[in-house]
This record gives sequence, C-alpha cells and structure tokens, in this order.
Amino acid sequence: MTVLISGGSKNGKTAFSESVAMRLSGNGRRYYVATMIPYDEEDRRRVALHIEERAGKGFETLEIGRDIASALKKGGPDAVYLVDSVTALLLNEMFPDFSNPDADPRAAARCREGLLALAKGAAHTVFVSDYIYSDAARYDAFTENYRRDLASIDRALAEAADTVIELSAGIPIFHKGGLPE
Amino acid sequence: MDLIIGGAYQGKLACAKKRYGLAEGDIYTCTEAEGIRFGARCINRIEEFTLWCVRNEKDALTIFRDNREAWQNSVLLCQDIFCGVVPMGADMRAWREMTGRLAAYLADEADSVTRMFCGLETRLK
Repeated sequence: MTVLISGGSKNGKTAFSESVAMRLSGNGRRYYVATMIPYDEEDRRRVALHIEERAGKGFETLEIGRDIASALKKGGPDAVYLVDSVTALLLNEMFPDFSNPDADPRAAARCREGLLALAKGAAHTVFVSDYIYSDAARYDAFTENYRRDLASIDRALAEAADTVIELSAGIPIFHKGGLPE
Repeated sequence: MDLIIGGAYQGKLACAKKRYGLAEGDIYTCTEAEGIRFGARCINRIEEFTLWCVRNEKDALTIFRDNREAWQNSVLLCQDIFCGVVPMGADMRAWREMTGRLAAYLADEADSVTRMFCGLETRLK
C-alpha cells in the first residue's frame, strides 16, 4: 500500500512514519530512504540524531537525494520504502548542479513521476512531506514556486495513495483510508 | 453560502468547480489591487480582498456585513494563513488578523464549511 504522511514541522512525522513502515513490513525488508543531502554541521547533527533514533528498528538506510525511483534497483520490489522527505527531494531535484543557481523547471514533474514509479513498483511506500501552506507571508517568486510545486506533488501522491494522514502533535488525522491492524 | 478553506495550493478551487459544476465565468477572483465584487456564484481568494482592505484602510468584516444579501448564495474560498509565526511586518499582522476574523464570521454564517488538505476534503460544518 501507499501512505502519504504530512503535517507541520517537528510534529513527530518521522517517528510515526517509521512505525507505519514497520507495521507494513512485518518481518520483511524495510528501507529508510533519506533524501536530504547534508551541507553543513547543523544538517549532519540532524542526520546523526535521526540515525540514532532509528537504531534497532530494523531499517536499512538508503541515501538517495535525486532520482528517487532508483531506490527500487537497490532494494527490489518486495520491500517497504519510507521516503523522508518529499520536501528535500524536490529541493535537490530543483538544483541538480549546485553551481547553477537557476532552479530546474522540470524538477517537480521529475519528482512526481519518480515517486509514483516507486509507489507502483514497491510492495509498500510511505512518503513524508511537509505542510508549508498556511502562514501569512508574501514570498519571493522562487519560494512561491517551490510551495506550489511541492503542493502539486503532495496532491498527486494523495490521489495515488491508499492512505493520507495529517499528523498533529504526533496524532494521526486520517484524510483517506486507514492502516492495517 | 458555502465556505471552503485550506492552505495555499490545497485544491479549494478544484473542489468548488467539481462540487458546484462551475464554469470559468462563474468564478470571481479577488485581487490585492481591486478588492472584491459581490454577485459571482463563486468568490475566490478572499484573502486577496482582505489584503486590499489592509492596504486601503478598510474593514473586511464591515464590508461583508454591509453586503450580506449579496453573497448569501455564493461559494466563498479563503486561504488558511493562520498557522505560521506572528508575522514581523505590521501589514502582514493586520492582514492575518483581518482574514482570521472574517473567516470566523463566514464560517459562522455558512451552511457548510469544508477544509482542503492535499486535495482531499473534510467537512467541518
């Protein structure tokens, strides 16, 4: 099955998503697909913390910052893939070459197709995204395009997903479907 | 009147078009430059009207109350702009407050209130 989990930042999305992936995989293989490419010390500290929190949960970590469907080649179809996060993946796809500051206009489509291909090819997928759409601000064109593109991916995933969950203070609000016992 | 709220790009307009069978001509979109015109079957981007109000020192709630008859049969779409940090700029703070007060009034007046999340609807009222 395909599960989309979104909600505000620092809401427990990662921990909750891990528990969902563990439930879906049973004794099968489960991959934590880390999409963030760490750039500085702050990023590296966050990665280290996530690795520590994941210890003992039986995940194998795949670090895939772009071309998300390539996860299938590494892990095969009979596995659970937890993709954390769609937000970071889109950012990486927008800047395939960091020396070029112009965002790639095809990034959103590439992200969407890759994520949907992974969802279709894998036994189970759990996608984590970020709800960044409800603040009172006027953003520059770059940020506004990023918000629009992330929302278009979220909506495509929500449509394809069996289950869509908004997490609030670590508590799931089900917008579509449910989870197995 | 029916109210549809939700964050940016969450599918408010798509929901309204589908549910009420709206054509493009049925939809009026508010702008920061021109404010609002009542009478359309669907009034989109109420938050742009409230920004116009802030820029032009008008009160959105008063304008809606004064024109109450004009929007009774409309579908109103308003962006949820209420979940971020208190904005640094005074005009953005005023915008958020005015939009929030208007949204609460409209939710109270509405026959139905729908919230959109990733293209999926939740009926709040």
